[in-house]
Amino acid sequence: MADEVALQFSSIGFRHQLPNPKWYNPFNKRQGAGISQVDLTLLGGQIIGLVGTNGAGKTTLLRMISGILPFKDGHASKDGERLEIEALRSMVGFMPEQIRWSGQQTIRETMTEFALLQGCSIQSTEEILSIVGLRNRSDSSLESLSQGMRQRLSLAVALLGTPKVLVLDEPFNGMDPVAIDAFKRLLRTLANNGIAVVISSHHLSELDHLVDTIALLHRGQLLGHGTIESLQAKLGFEEMTEVVLNREITDPIIDSLNIIEHSSTGQEHRYIFDSSHPELLHVLIAQNYEISTWRILPPTLIELLCAATGLDRDAIGMDVGQSSMIPLRMLGGEEE
Amino acid sequence: MTPTQRMIRLAISLCRQRMFSTRMLIMLPILLLFIPGMAWGFADPNLQLPAEQIPENATETMFLASIGIVFAGTMAAVLIAHDGISRDRMNGVLEIRLSQPMQRWRQGTVLVLGHWMSIALPVTLLIVASMVLVGYRSDMWIQFADAIVFIVAAALVLLWYTVFALLASSIAKEQGSAIAFSIGLWFLFTLLWVLFTTLLAALNGVAVGDTQDQGYLIFEGRLDLLSPNGVYHHLLETRLDGVQRGVSAFVAYLSAIIWTVVPLYFFHRRLNRLVP
Repeated sequence: MADEVALQFSSIGFRHQLPNPKWYNPFNKRQGAGISQVDLTLLGGQIIGLVGTNGAGKTTLLRMISGILPFKDGHASKDGERLEIEALRSMVGFMPEQIRWSGQQTIRETMTEFALLQGCSIQSTEEILSIVGLRNRSDSSLESLSQGMRQRLSLAVALLGTPKVLVLDEPFNGMDPVAIDAFKRLLRTLANNGIAVVISSHHLSELDHLVDTIALLHRGQLLGHGTIESLQAKLGFEEMTEVVLNREITDPIIDSLNIIEHSSTGQEHRYIFDSSHPELLHVLIAQNYEISTWRILPPTLIELLCAATGLDRDAIGMDVGQSSMIPLRMLGGEEE
Repeated sequence: MTPTQRMIRLAISLCRQRMFSTRMLIMLPILLLFIPGMAWGFADPNLQLPAEQIPENATETMFLASIGIVFAGTMAAVLIAHDGISRDRMNGVLEIRLSQPMQRWRQGTVLVLGHWMSIALPVTLLIVASMVLVGYRSDMWIQFADAIVFIVAAALVLLWYTVFALLASSIAKEQGSAIAFSIGLWFLFTLLWVLFTTLLAALNGVAVGDTQDQGYLIFEGRLDLLSPNGVYHHLLETRLDGVQRGVSAFVAYLSAIIWTVVPLYFFHRRLNRLVP
């Protein structure tokens, strides 16, 4: 089941309509930010991490994948056949960011309601509640749920109707580390069962050891999609190495190395080099340095975005929230 | 289970939630006071009304008591449905609903049916109770056909206000706007309409001060077709003798159909284009 194409999106686009009242037309709208010309293939069993800064268009893209927002351009297809919006919705389970479930309704009643909306059997709700660990709370009212339980309920609703694709918008928000870990393991299990998972986050670290591929989104455009290694290679990243020692390096070998960052705090000296440098390791061992850390550093989201867009760190930061969509440098240095 | 069966089940579930909500508990005394309370008052054999209007049968008594539906019933419908969509938008549940494969028109119908039934059922029970009270107190029993028209007309006016409130709720981005829009509309049709009618009549040279003036009555009757409360009263008047307000029963029924179909059409169109 893995690697089978679950869904394919071709050149999809959407622009938000923002109120722009005029004296002659108080309901006048103008086009705001959105998504432009995104091509994305979702494979069964694969977890895709959708990353980007605030306002990059992650939620908009996820809503399009879920069939909530209409495609102004492009289309979704499965096995080469164009999908209507209802067919798309029936294939995708969507978990929005932080649902504030409230009311006197119980979890079981809520699941029954969404099972009816989904068109799946009501009996399946019990099984799904077991999967997300809420079966023994199924008679609890929504008011009494903690944030973590609300997230689990949102996931349970998304799993109704055995979706081919699971779309999760910032699912770790408000969850404690233990719950995050359990959630990640659950997602991996679901992926192993052939479900394609798309998960958004503005923190790459949250997606560590979870996602198979990364999709980089900025200003509504998909700048690149692939494994972290392939993105690094395409963007020309070299592996960076962090080394923490008990004293400063005085050996002449230091002159031949490219130090990206160096900081000292008391007895701790931290270096970041642009590659792994095994010859340095030999020297440090030979000279009895105490090496408390030696690790390969993954690129940060900012670094990946800077490399993909050609913008510097300040420009990326100030860019958040811009409603205009201008062509950006795409992967491989091409201009769109 | 067929899609229609699923819709009905969802509507019943929504109706149950709304009917047993705290909001309904708060409104119940108002409904009791305005519907059976008014019927009890108008059924008083020693009743003295302005212009020496004395109800001659139970249908006329119920017609007078229908003001309770106009004031309390429609307000309750607005208060029940004003956050039917905006509440889900605020807490994020709307996103999940909109991502479900059930067609939007079906989801819209569930919303309308659920909210409408939650107010129409208690109001219908109170209307039946009112009819019994009128019969008990004045010894005049309403005819079956009149009772049916009375109940159906009340159900229709509640439906119209429910749809207005849901439409407002779908447009409003937050609760305040939704309630302002819904209550504003209720206020216009329930309280300001008389002023509006009088003003227009005066501008058209009709004798406004004389409520018995036939020209004024006909003008008011025709203008009432533009108000849901007016159409509601026209429907009730089809069962009264000697009412001449320039609107035939056919026009009243046609207006009722238009007031049902047009807002529902706009609501479904709105829901089809709804984004979180």
